[in-house]
Amino acid sequence: MPDRDRLLLILRRLAICAILVVALAPVVWLCSIAYKPTRDIFASPPTFLFTPTLDNFESVFRYFHLSALLESSLIIAIGSTAVSLLIGVPAGYALARSESPRAIWLAYFFLIIRTVPPIATLIPFYLLMRDIGLLGTWWAVIILNSALNSAFVVWMMFSFFRAAPISTEEAALTDGCTDFGAFIRIALPSVVPGLIASAIFCVMFSWNDFLYAMFLTKADTKTISVALLSAYGTKDISWGTLGALAHFSTLPIVAMMILLNRYFVQGLTQGVH
Amino acid sequence: MSIASRDGASADDDATLSSGWSYARKRQLFLIAMAAPALIYVLAVAVGPMVQGFLYSFDNYSLIHPGSRHFVGLDNYLSLWRDPTARRALINTFAFTFGAVTLEFVLGLGVALLLWCDDWFNRVALGLLLIPATVTPLVVGLIFKALLSPEYGMLGYPLAELGLSGPRGLLADPQRALATLVAIDAWEWTPLMALILLAGLKTLPTDILEAAAVDGANGPQRFWLMVLPLLLPAAFLALILRMMDAFRVFDIIFVTTSGGPADATDTLMIYGVKQGLEFFNIGAASAVSTVIVVCILLMATAFIVVLKPGRDRHA
Repeated sequence: MPDRDRLLLILRRLAICAILVVALAPVVWLCSIAYKPTRDIFASPPTFLFTPTLDNFESVFRYFHLSALLESSLIIAIGSTAVSLLIGVPAGYALARSESPRAIWLAYFFLIIRTVPPIATLIPFYLLMRDIGLLGTWWAVIILNSALNSAFVVWMMFSFFRAAPISTEEAALTDGCTDFGAFIRIALPSVVPGLIASAIFCVMFSWNDFLYAMFLTKADTKTISVALLSAYGTKDISWGTLGALAHFSTLPIVAMMILLNRYFVQGLTQGVH
Repeated sequence: MSIASRDGASADDDATLSSGWSYARKRQLFLIAMAAPALIYVLAVAVGPMVQGFLYSFDNYSLIHPGSRHFVGLDNYLSLWRDPTARRALINTFAFTFGAVTLEFVLGLGVALLLWCDDWFNRVALGLLLIPATVTPLVVGLIFKALLSPEYGMLGYPLAELGLSGPRGLLADPQRALATLVAIDAWEWTPLMALILLAGLKTLPTDILEAAAVDGANGPQRFWLMVLPLLLPAAFLALILRMMDAFRVFDIIFVTTSGGPADATDTLMIYGVKQGLEFFNIGAASAVSTVIVVCILLMATAFIVVLKPGRDRHA
């Protein structure tokens, strides 16, 4: 019997390893082409062996104003994350603590908002931003991203606050603590993982978005994902250069996910419990 | 429940409150004040433009001739219905959503069952497995476009050589392009599905499952009769999230095929974005987005009504 269990375990591990190869190979491949000379990338049939080069990174610096692109992406990601947490967290708390049966419907409303197709808000929002003169600024992207991200934060924090123990809060309230004081000093510290998870997702959504940024920013405010897309259509930008550029757009988020994996997983699964 | 019990206790304190309001009323106002900024913000920035867009859908409104904007009633919807490209986009969207969600659910359940044991190996594997979900969808599209190239792609070249794809590759094959996109979507989102299902598996009462095993229920019996029904709340969450996301898929299709070849992979999102932001036909684009929103709401409602998830949890 133990032998059979052992065999099963080894088979399971092997299956998981096979799945990991499928999941990771494309990402590894993308990173690897950044170090490939162009003629090897377009070799037909494709080759696995090549002499690594840093030429592609050089052309990234030659063709792109990388620091400006990263600055735009960073400002938009941080700005919309700050706004979303600032308004989303208190609302999630209020819905979790409300006695009203309507609270759950309001929570569903916020969940649905996050899933509304971007095109439904983008065109009227584009016209609005044009009319008030914010088109082409970081603000336009931050304002729109924050609306959708804060709706997501409300939903996620609603689950976290609902799972947090309420008795300490009640004791503090009975001892004369104000409602807001109980929220800041007792409820918030008990959902720190939720706050981190919400921040990770807001940063990820904003950083990875390109549809909004593509239409709401202009040349000097565009983000790295917009640059990636426009570079793709250009003749003198090779796949190698794209791979090198993708290092800067993809690796920060992947690194964040790996470092904060625990919170990432907890955030995604909170709704299940 | 807990606040209500507190209300009882605090009824005596009411006399000591300077204002005439009871504690419960004050608490309610506090909670409303906490929720108001997010609600107002979302209504103003997300719902407002959506309603505006809904109104545009009844106008002939082109940004190329903004002066000639006028009310045309249901004309935008009627021409949408008469346009074979739009009908194809509607069918493609449903086919993509159904295909992607089904495939991701089946594969995700398999992965979750494989990882259903909390040890260091599985924790590390899960962390690595989530990497695809964090890669920018735009970049995912670029990766697979290059990998599937029949001339120099690591996947496309052997497929073309073996005659499994046409000489121009899977993404240029009208019969297979949509299925290929479903597979790419599954590559990116199956891990997420697996993660949510795994979280559901971990909440299952292991003692009951073990008791069933002792009583002689075999593996498949335990899976179909116990694990699957108990997994329903987690499955519900995973399915509804993925369904709503898959229905508005845009990035990977835009990058790989832009709806082509011909209209083989045209979805409502691609069609709508083309109408609005390439042809500046705001009326038609708004009609498309209204159709998308209505479809998503209908699917979500149907889902909630049919599966009635976790009623007890919210009570």
